[in-house]
Amino acid sequence: MQITVFAFAHTRDQLGFGEKVLTCEAQDTPRAILRRLAPRFDPGKTVRVAVDREYADWDQPIGSASELALIPPVSGG
Amino acid sequence: MKKQIEFTRAPIVVPPQPGKLREIGACVEFHGIVRKMENGRVIPALFYEAYEAMARSQLERIADELNAAHPCDELCLIHRLGPVPTGEASMYLRVLSRHRQEAFDFAAAFVTRLKADAPIWKTPAPASQCTAP
Repeated sequence: MQITVFAFAHTRDQLGFGEKVLTCEAQDTPRAILRRLAPRFDPGKTVRVAVDREYADWDQPIGSASELALIPPVSGG
Repeated sequence: MKKQIEFTRAPIVVPPQPGKLREIGACVEFHGIVRKMENGRVIPALFYEAYEAMARSQLERIADELNAAHPCDELCLIHRLGPVPTGEASMYLRVLSRHRQEAFDFAAAFVTRLKADAPIWKTPAPASQCTAP
């Protein structure tokens, strides 16, 4: 299956892409997918992950999700 | 609760007040305005971006959660994206309720939650980006 990975704000600048599509398996976790995409990038404790537009756990398998987003600290308003 | 959540790349136009059909006793409005100073330096504008689809669903959920604690009748949120010059509003919030306390409490909590959880980002914008499209 395919998943679209989105990166925003300074995480996009660090990774060098805003959107990428890649092939993955239902048991893959966001952490494993990110490691495959950017082996040297460490999300640390400040970058959250969203799976299908919901905040998610880095180590929870993605299941049938079609979107994964890297969410650096937000600053709306 | 009626919810209207919009993102716009144009200056915010405050929508007209709703009609007088319902039992509304309080209207709380908040304009978030871009300040001239950001982290100790003068800036011409802030640049906003969002993961719009997720921001919208998060904000709708936040509104539903807050409505359980502070029952209100209507929420209108308009948030700018792209460059927002200093002095202009980056967001507009209007909350309507039967009584004032619910609207005050809802509005304050909603802005706090938006700033904590809505996937929206701002960065100082260079002068070249200060003209809205």
